[in-house]
Amino acid sequence: MVSKLIDRRAFLKAAGVGFLASLTPRGIAMAAEADAVFATAFQRRDGSYGAAILTERGKLVHSIALPERGHDVAYDPISRRSVVFARQPGTFAVVFDPGGKAEPLTINSVEGRHFYGHGAFSPDGKLLYATENDFDNAAGMVGVYDASDGFRRIGEFPTYGVGPHELVLLGDGHSLAICNGGIETHPDFGRAKLNLATMKPSFVFIDRETGELLEKHELPSALHKLSIRHMDIDHRGTIWFGCQHEGPASERPLLIGKAERGKAFGLVDMPAEILGGFRNYIGSVAANRDAGTIAVSSPQGNAYAVLDATSGAVLSATTLTEVCGLAPDDAGFLASTGTGEIVAPDSTSVTEPDYVWDNHLLRIRL
Amino acid sequence: MHFSMKTLATTLAILGCSIVAASARNQTIANAVDGFVRPAYRNLATETERLVPTLDKLCKSGDASALEAARAAFTNAALAWSEVEIIRLGPVTEQNRLDRILHWPDRKGIGLKQVQAALAQKDLTAIDAERLAQKSVAMQGFGALEFLLFGTGSDDVAAWRETFRCHYAQAVADNISSMSSDISKEWDAPEGFAKTWENPSPQNNLYRSDTEALTDLIEIFVQGIELVRDVRTNGFLGEKPEGDKAKQAIYWRSNGTALSLGANIEGLNKLFEASRMADLATGDNAYLGNSIGFEFGNAQNALAAVKGKPIDAVLRDPDQRQKLDYFRTVTSSLSELFGTRLSGALDLTAGFSSLDGD
Repeated sequence: MVSKLIDRRAFLKAAGVGFLASLTPRGIAMAAEADAVFATAFQRRDGSYGAAILTERGKLVHSIALPERGHDVAYDPISRRSVVFARQPGTFAVVFDPGGKAEPLTINSVEGRHFYGHGAFSPDGKLLYATENDFDNAAGMVGVYDASDGFRRIGEFPTYGVGPHELVLLGDGHSLAICNGGIETHPDFGRAKLNLATMKPSFVFIDRETGELLEKHELPSALHKLSIRHMDIDHRGTIWFGCQHEGPASERPLLIGKAERGKAFGLVDMPAEILGGFRNYIGSVAANRDAGTIAVSSPQGNAYAVLDATSGAVLSATTLTEVCGLAPDDAGFLASTGTGEIVAPDSTSVTEPDYVWDNHLLRIRL
Repeated sequence: MHFSMKTLATTLAILGCSIVAASARNQTIANAVDGFVRPAYRNLATETERLVPTLDKLCKSGDASALEAARAAFTNAALAWSEVEIIRLGPVTEQNRLDRILHWPDRKGIGLKQVQAALAQKDLTAIDAERLAQKSVAMQGFGALEFLLFGTGSDDVAAWRETFRCHYAQAVADNISSMSSDISKEWDAPEGFAKTWENPSPQNNLYRSDTEALTDLIEIFVQGIELVRDVRTNGFLGEKPEGDKAKQAIYWRSNGTALSLGANIEGLNKLFEASRMADLATGDNAYLGNSIGFEFGNAQNALAAVKGKPIDAVLRDPDQRQKLDYFRTVTSSLSELFGTRLSGALDLTAGFSSLDGD
């Protein structure tokens, strides 16, 4: 319990002066004492979909139903609202109260666009940014929604690439980092990948206020089938990203990379036996900023690994069937699986018999 | 660092270990390879090789009967491909072969424009099979050849005798034939991908366990059915008739749409039978083999009445359109049988996160 308290104090410190100033002393005390909870999309055994709030012990606190499969969840700590995005090519996002006290609100994508499953709030919680597909033009877009006005869509700007996936807001509060996976899809053809021979993934930084492209990075042309898809930010502000290889299985490219604005962009070396176990597929990336670690998962390889964010060294690799969701918890990571397990950092595992967990797990504080 | 030495030791201990202990040779995979994959690629190599002389003849004579023979050979070759294209691992994934043999859908018509531009400009690099192989994937496979043999201008009596159009078609056929032959040889090679797939072990770079090898086999079914339903069927068949898009149907120019869908299903059926995967589902799940076989039969029955017909006419006829709608329903049932029931019965991780990630 001591380590938890330290973690929470460190979190509050990391959350910044603005966040602390917005809370009363009593609020600070409550935040420090409150249990962290986790948000994730799920499928029930009867085939229906939804999003859930779980405790650190994997106990279901609250859930909402979704019309189709969800993907990732974003959270705004100011209004204390979560948004779960439809998995691509879904056309809805649902705003919900993790505490279960308010009615969910559905955001429908506008004509000619669908969601890609990821998004993020502005630091003041007033705007929501979502990766979207302008599918007739095969152009990645960021949809901008006014969270203070019923999540009305107030604009959009390009991601300067095809098939954007995860989007995160940098610590400066202004820059968005976006993984352009490079894969063209069109809802007329389901999830079929239409441009594998010519795909060109990229990693971009964009000014969220002007939509201006700040930086664009690409991998060497020999790696043009390495789709850059998920990421998180470590304790020093470095972004770690994970890739999925669309080329032949006989190739075993590196799958993890690092990016920093104005600095380096590239892939990170990894021992062959760990890399091989990922079977060319990283499903999620999560940082534990208190512990200075990064976790990457491969549901295809039934494994996840934890890396030292400073040295890049692999600290541990764990076999876990269909592991994908990862979120920081204490000094380690909580992991969720497509078979319905929630595994704590101390390796204790729980299941909710009726549920299997989707690809992502988000740590939030109520 | 917060990791204890104990945690590190525990996790290092399991590194490199397989999920399920591997036996020497996986008989189910060996059955699949010997009983379906190798013969299906040999058949593709044979049918594409047969296409080449029909085009040679067409280019020499330019007459209607030679055109008819070339078109028939095209359909046979395209159907041989439809049967085996469900295999999306191994040699076909190398060198962009999957896209080079058939780049489809060509949603924005880019491939069609490239083919038309080559025809208009008499692009000499398009009539040399080796140089064609370096060009856009959309210019060098069945999609391009279908347009050349069946598309606008193909019925013109002057279109074929020693023409650029015919020489371009020859180069496409040579290119497809050469790739098909290479893929078949690579599957037949004793030290090739087949050996890797059939012999999982902790030292095997691609398949560390029987579970991983079998998961790739069941993925062929799950992804193959998804291809047939979501891409090939839903691509042109709307929820309602007003949403139909006949020109988004594969092989619509050669009346090959339903034939190709049927060949896709036939390939999956043959693979299922050859692998004897059904035998692995025992006890309460022993019914699965029969259920799957029954649904494969239903899918073929639904297509029987519309095979070889112009797809726009099929879509305009409510009775015939209903057959396609039923076919779609059957593919959903097959999707459930493979993706949920059989994979569950075999305790394979064919779920949710691994098989269909994002």
